[in-house]
Amino acid sequence: MSEIEKIKSARTDDLYYTVNHPSGLKIYLYPKKSSSTFAIFGTKYGSIDNCFRRSDETEPQTVPNGIAHYLEHKLFESADGDAFVRYAKTGACANAYTSFDMTCYLFSCTSHFYDSLEILLDFVQSPYFTDKTVKKEQGIIGQEIRMYDDDPQWRVMFDLLGNLYHTHPVKIDIAGTTESIAKITPELLYKCYNTFYNLNNMALCIAGNFDTDRVLSICDKMLKPSKPVSVERIFAPEPESVARTRSEEKLPVSLPIFELGFKEPVSGGRASSKELAETDILLKALASPASPLYRSLLDDGIINEASFGQQYFEGPGFASVIFSGESRDPDAVAERINQEIVKLRRDGISRKAFDCAKNMIYGSSIAALNSVSNIANSIISFAFAGRELFSYIDAVAEADADSVMARLKTQLRPETSAISIVRPES
Amino acid sequence: MEEVQKRSVCSGINFRSIRDSRFKTARISINFLLPLKKETAAKNALLPFLLTRSCKKYPDFTKLNEHLAELYGAELDADIQKLGDVQMLSIFVSGLADRYALHGEKMSEELSRLLCDVVFDPQMSDRLFPEEGFEQEKRQLMETLDSEFNDKQIYAFRRCQEIMCSKEPYGLSRLGTKEEIKNLKRSDLTAAWEYMLQSAPAEIMVLGNCNPEPVFHSFSDAFAKHGRANIGNYKGCVVRKAGETKDITEKMDVVQSKLVMGFRTGCAEPEKAVPAVKLMSAMYGGSPNSKLFLNVREKMSLCYYCSSSFNPIKGIMFVQSGVEKKNIGRAKDEIIAQLDDMKHGKFTDEEIDEAKLSLCNLYHTVSDSLEALEGWYLSKTFSDPLCTPEHEAETINGVTRSQITEAAQKVELDTVYRLTGERGKFK
Repeated sequence: MSEIEKIKSARTDDLYYTVNHPSGLKIYLYPKKSSSTFAIFGTKYGSIDNCFRRSDETEPQTVPNGIAHYLEHKLFESADGDAFVRYAKTGACANAYTSFDMTCYLFSCTSHFYDSLEILLDFVQSPYFTDKTVKKEQGIIGQEIRMYDDDPQWRVMFDLLGNLYHTHPVKIDIAGTTESIAKITPELLYKCYNTFYNLNNMALCIAGNFDTDRVLSICDKMLKPSKPVSVERIFAPEPESVARTRSEEKLPVSLPIFELGFKEPVSGGRASSKELAETDILLKALASPASPLYRSLLDDGIINEASFGQQYFEGPGFASVIFSGESRDPDAVAERINQEIVKLRRDGISRKAFDCAKNMIYGSSIAALNSVSNIANSIISFAFAGRELFSYIDAVAEADADSVMARLKTQLRPETSAISIVRPES
Repeated sequence: MEEVQKRSVCSGINFRSIRDSRFKTARISINFLLPLKKETAAKNALLPFLLTRSCKKYPDFTKLNEHLAELYGAELDADIQKLGDVQMLSIFVSGLADRYALHGEKMSEELSRLLCDVVFDPQMSDRLFPEEGFEQEKRQLMETLDSEFNDKQIYAFRRCQEIMCSKEPYGLSRLGTKEEIKNLKRSDLTAAWEYMLQSAPAEIMVLGNCNPEPVFHSFSDAFAKHGRANIGNYKGCVVRKAGETKDITEKMDVVQSKLVMGFRTGCAEPEKAVPAVKLMSAMYGGSPNSKLFLNVREKMSLCYYCSSSFNPIKGIMFVQSGVEKKNIGRAKDEIIAQLDDMKHGKFTDEEIDEAKLSLCNLYHTVSDSLEALEGWYLSKTFSDPLCTPEHEAETINGVTRSQITEAAQKVELDTVYRLTGERGKFK
């Protein structure tokens, strides 16, 4: 029998259920009045998992870069056809994505939900890789890689990650390279599939209009219990320092673009909901449109509102704060941000800046609950990081300025920062 | 969810609202409709960005943004879009519903007041907007054009539209050109603002978890105070025939080449044949189950993306793809061959049913997002302002096989645009 727990949030009027299914799968069910229903089935397996050891094997295995993404593409095909063709019969809008640390298969629909759910659970559990089908995908993914080669935003991000990280595979392009994907074989795909697509390493999240009992009975029918195998991700030791402090590349762009990163030391697990909330507030206090920093950058004409932003980029074995945008003078932006960080360390956060930042993060967290796809995507990525959505919102509402300031002990350290710039060619 | 309500605020100003407590937010927008013209595109485009930067009550960028932050990060922003040959200037606010404010703030009243403040009560001296903000917004608008050049998929698509519609307003940039923006003077903006308030038609949309009544009254008071005269009435043009095919290749230092093809479909909203064109375009290249996806991508492995999109206001259809330079010819031939199959009725009843399901699924999803609802109803402004997505789904379901073939047979290739490069080929 499944164990079911109800998670309620008085602040948002919402609730969801977490289910420990006997197959080993964690299931999250978020009922919501909505025309569409969104389902996402994912594995804690992404582009950074290129070296691992299974608990039932002694030797670690190294696999070609880009294989998690390749596997995502190939899983849509099975012996009796393509999953998109099956979804076409239900009208669901289906897709999938591979990130640094997870691979997810999803659909949204307004009718035939249970049929689509069966398709999702079936094809993700039915790998089918042959020499012929694997070869065919090289042309398609090759063009996907080349599309990203022309994307200055993508290039400036990976240039930065290459600056920040010495060894961590987060610096490698998610899709790999045309050379690395040429080494992918059906055997390697099966190896990765059988290691990471174990239900104990996966989660299913559904948000929208559905009947909980009916979903669980479909899960009972469709889920194939997995062997209790666990997997250890192996990363080479990553020094605290950055690999290099700057990089520049030329591409056909009209205006330079930049990313400025502050690497932080990572030991052990992922950031908690509370730490994440505090960092989000800290970054808004420092650099939101209501901040003095933002105003001075704008007044000097070195950022624009459409592109300037900041994010906390955090995952297994990596964590950095990244500022990004278009600028005619990226180094001047970096210098100003660094000065403002020094000031923040020295003077602390004003009451007003703290309240503004907290309100902004609170507002956007509540507004995100309008959308079933936001909800389901957040819950699954939080689940893989050991976090819980409503505790994050509570942590935002209850945050205090001292704890937010304490994040500066490990964050926004100038000695571990780096910049990457993409400039126009002529 | 309530039905969409429509009423008139005053001459040329319409008000549509949907109240729906399923949402945790409300969204209010005013969308001014002006003819897209070379002489006015840049000043009209700059105007809403200038207005949302500050106002008399919050005369400084930082003060205004602090106020927004206090209102739980409410959003106040502007946007410029083309609705066919019309330039639409949008100013919107969006923020939490009253229920979710932590200290009992009356959120929707605050939001509505703020929107009226920035539209009707800007900070001005001697009938001019402040110099500093004016220069800032000019720079930022020019940088928006730069950033569209950075994205080659957007850039190639825009170039194809420009070339194809060079004799229609639709072929103009919605933001004007960099040169035109650079040459703007503050007095141009005063004139544009006064004209917009006095004579431009506008669509006000109030959506989500808020009571539309006070918003309606705020706007009717503000417009009454301002006065309205010489209300414009603009409609676009529809070019039905392609004429001789325009064929343009441009070179750039890119890794992947882009192919964009523009077609005339011979009909536009509100004509009865439009739903058949929508369905035809969906079967042709609108989903991962479409002819273009299954053949150009899956069977021939030529690309990562190859899809079609239909603009029902202009009656034009585009196909876009990113391919290796040496494969452009093969991709183009296959795109044409798949269209020929559509013209000859070479598709199964299953393909029809599946495209119907897929389109209806999209229409039924519209009511789950305030942005999507706003976009839906604004796009229907000139054809059928109260047409619901659900009604559109019913119409699509009524389309027959012969209507689809007829729609395909009217499609004519107008423009082929290629952006080619071979960067990194010999790496």
